Amino acid sequence: MIKRRKKSFSDFESLDKKKRRVKFDFILFFLVIAISSFGVLIIYSATRETLPGGVTDPQYYLKRQAIWLAAGIVICVAVQFINYRKIQRYWWLIFFIGISSLAAVFLFGYEVYGSKSWIDLKFFTIQPSEFSKVFMVISLAAVMSKWKGEKVYRVTFKKVAISSTVALIFVLLVLLEPDYGTALMYFIVYIGLLFLSGANFLYLLSVLGLTAGGFFIALKAGLIKQYQLDRILVFLKPEVSSEGAGYSLYQSRLAIGSGDFLGKGLFLGKQTNLSYVPEHHTDFIFSVIGEELGFLGAVVVLLVLVVIVWRCFYIASNSSDSFAMLLSSGIGFIILSQVVINIGMTIGIMPIIGIPLPFLSSGGSSLVSLFLGIGLVENVYIWKEVRKDYEIAYQELK
Amino acid sequence: MGSNIKIRFKIILYLLVMILIVIILRLYFLQIMSGELYAELASKSITREKTVAAPRGNIYDQNGKLIVKSVPVTAVAVEPHIVLKNEDVMEALSGCLNMSYQDIKEKLEKSDASYIDRVILKQDIDTAAIIYLKENSSKFPGVEVIDVYLREYNFDSLASHLLGYTVEIDEDRLKSKKYEKGYEGGDQIGLTGLEEAYESILKGKKGRIVYEVNPLGMPVDMLVETSPISGNDLYLTIDIDLQRVVEKILYESILEVRQKKIKNTDEYYKVPGGAVVVLSPKNGQILAMASYPTFNPELFVGGISQDNWEYLDNPENYYPQINRAVMSSFPPGSAIKIVPAYAGLAEDIISERSRLNCAGVWLGLGKDFPKSCWSSHGSLDIRGAIKNSCDIYFYQVGYGLFTKYNNMEELLQKYLRIFEFGSLTGIDLPHEDEGLVADKEWKKDYFKDQAGYSVWFPGDTVNMAIGQGDLLVTPLQMAQAFSILANRGIQYTPYIVKEIRDTEGNLFPDNSREEYKDLKLNEYFVEIIEDGLVQVVGPGGTAASVFRDFPLDRIPVAGKTGTAEIEGKQDYGWFASYAPVGSPEYVVVVMLEEAGSGGSNVAPIVEKIYRYIFNID
Repeated sequence: MIKRRKKSFSDFESLDKKKRRVKFDFILFFLVIAISSFGVLIIYSATRETLPGGVTDPQYYLKRQAIWLAAGIVICVAVQFINYRKIQRYWWLIFFIGISSLAAVFLFGYEVYGSKSWIDLKFFTIQPSEFSKVFMVISLAAVMSKWKGEKVYRVTFKKVAISSTVALIFVLLVLLEPDYGTALMYFIVYIGLLFLSGANFLYLLSVLGLTAGGFFIALKAGLIKQYQLDRILVFLKPEVSSEGAGYSLYQSRLAIGSGDFLGKGLFLGKQTNLSYVPEHHTDFIFSVIGEELGFLGAVVVLLVLVVIVWRCFYIASNSSDSFAMLLSSGIGFIILSQVVINIGMTIGIMPIIGIPLPFLSSGGSSLVSLFLGIGLVENVYIWKEVRKDYEIAYQELK
Repeated sequence: MGSNIKIRFKIILYLLVMILIVIILRLYFLQIMSGELYAELASKSITREKTVAAPRGNIYDQNGKLIVKSVPVTAVAVEPHIVLKNEDVMEALSGCLNMSYQDIKEKLEKSDASYIDRVILKQDIDTAAIIYLKENSSKFPGVEVIDVYLREYNFDSLASHLLGYTVEIDEDRLKSKKYEKGYEGGDQIGLTGLEEAYESILKGKKGRIVYEVNPLGMPVDMLVETSPISGNDLYLTIDIDLQRVVEKILYESILEVRQKKIKNTDEYYKVPGGAVVVLSPKNGQILAMASYPTFNPELFVGGISQDNWEYLDNPENYYPQINRAVMSSFPPGSAIKIVPAYAGLAEDIISERSRLNCAGVWLGLGKDFPKSCWSSHGSLDIRGAIKNSCDIYFYQVGYGLFTKYNNMEELLQKYLRIFEFGSLTGIDLPHEDEGLVADKEWKKDYFKDQAGYSVWFPGDTVNMAIGQGDLLVTPLQMAQAFSILANRGIQYTPYIVKEIRDTEGNLFPDNSREEYKDLKLNEYFVEIIEDGLVQVVGPGGTAASVFRDFPLDRIPVAGKTGTAEIEGKQDYGWFASYAPVGSPEYVVVVMLEEAGSGGSNVAPIVEKIYRYIFNID
């Protein structure tokens, strides 16, 4: 059995080399590159005057983001040369890399805004929690997909138990940094995957219930302080104060609100360019878009992001196996949850938690890991076609 | 893939669409529906407005001599609501400005932050502190180094009552309607005199700077910049040289009179105060106006000290801030007699030739009410009555005016009002007193709780005819009455500001000055009275001794003495005059409080003033 499987793999690999049929989702690829390039431009607009972080070159952030974008594209393309099924097989390795990189933060990391989530690699810094979200999705997809011995794909109690343990490890590691926003995003991704895996609602409700219970205990035990909660929930107050916890939200709403229909024009956003909106080139980049490009620009950006997410789910729903489906959906959930939390935060319908806007926020780790994720989705798409070819060839061979 | 999973994908798709709709609706609400509101809020949150003080207009005398000017000084202004929260800043300011921490705190706490957005902490700070504050402005949020304009007086306390002074606007005034527009904490405002009357002309227009700031409050971009426009300059009718002489004569004479004892007693004259008005009857221009005691307006520059204020406010110092020529009224005594004289002639009570007898006592009001004269003058005509200031003559005139038409028309009061007593002259100085011309109605109202007193008695009119009773006039009103007489009935409103010019010297159009009123007086009657007034300073007149050495042949003077009695006080002395008779150019009125006889103690002041004016040694 094992022998045959091995043979078949080498078979379709050689077959692929012969055929060289490129079945690539150009829509997804084009949109991702387009939105990321637009992101580079917006980041330039947001940083060329205020120069956050004490840099002196007005194009510093522009150049850096462009380099990261190039790196992301390279990784995205490079990933295509590995069949996702190999990734499925070596998921434990990826799981290990994921958790150890997160753990490394505690040894080598440094703090930014109270969260120890960065590792300095001399020439650049990376944020392991960004890459880990992809690693977590791979791990979860692997444990939840059809196991080797299984005849039919089914989400059993065992799978739920293992997958929730995997998710918990990732979430806990991120919580310890502490980075509540990312932890929340991880959680949403897991719930999303559990939902799409076809798991019984009972399992879903149990996971949600246990999480709620854990949260409550943490609150009671003092692990989560009331002021932290207040800070997060400040958006619920109808009249946001312009000072303290509500400051970012207030300024962000002013920026976006003042954009009107067509915006103030690229490079002309006052609120954001004068640093009234904090973190305007990272977490609050959407404020810059809203202010400078107005309602029209914001809606177009939003639509592009939604189409990207839809593309991921579309590829997932048309994939050939459960791992591919879960992997592609997981990436979709990553992007979706980040888009909703981030944009929701800047327009005051979501708590203020530091989550970057996919493809747009300044930051290499986020961008590269997203391109890695998109690479995996494309991978699912490409190798699905190959598999079909392989199946045809296999049939012929028989 | 099972159908179960396909359904779940569909659910995710619906979720995606819903999220899209929610976010787009929210964006629509934020950007399209409330876009303008947010745009306004946004621009407010990043722009700051700053005003630049305008130099206050200068004040010149009639010959263009600069009396008051504006000088810029550097001041430290702070926004109390920012600085009060920041102890470090207050601490640092305390060291830098050499003020105690407590002083700073108190000064800021005193100002209601909701009204005062700027408080001047210290004026005229030294260069080192200016440089330090400017270079470290980021360490001093809410602290500004600004220019303010303070007053500088070229002639010390000269004409201080006319000029008035400026002070930093206080909280109550900031809240008031008058200072609603264009004022902010730290501004200087005119409080008395011309500074107050011409506040809107003098103050100029502030410059405005609108600039963008970053979240730390540091300016990043200038949006609007308008330069301040200097206030307009005032050119006065005052001759500052004459003013100086008048003030000097008044002051020295008061000191002289204070050396004199009241006849037959050991009591010295107190003379707590006095006033002089010199005006031109030809147009109503005030050429000099003095009031004693006086004060130095420089005390108010940069804020008056507590000690100085207490001195000025203490009744024992006889209220130096009061301009007695305009702001207070006094019983006029015999100086008023020109009015009953004219009234008597005009109402046929007396005639040019008719003579009345003065036997020292007059019993016209009945045996129970004997009215005495200060002397026994015998038979007098109107000229002689004025010359000798015979009270009994004027008692009879007053009585005649009372009995005519049964006092239905209150003739004496009518003529007093014709000569503009009892109402404001309309001079361009604030807080003018309108004096008092009592009549039936006034008395009824004034004594409404004391029924026996509320009736107008013949004696009331009789007393008023010699300037006693309920008759109060300001020295300025007296000057105006003599001006009317000198002008044969032409009345000008007295004024001090001749011209208003902007900084480039362009004249403000102002035609109100040329207006006059013809009171249609009988010129012949006026001449009869003038004859009497000329005799007052001539041989045998009540001021004869004072003008003995005065070249009356060259400069004929018409004048009237007055000595008013006030219960519980020494007599108030008056001398009202104009000269030269024939073509009068000057009206000079002097009043001294508690100085005894107008003839002997007040007239000398007038004589000295005429000596200066007409260049007589």
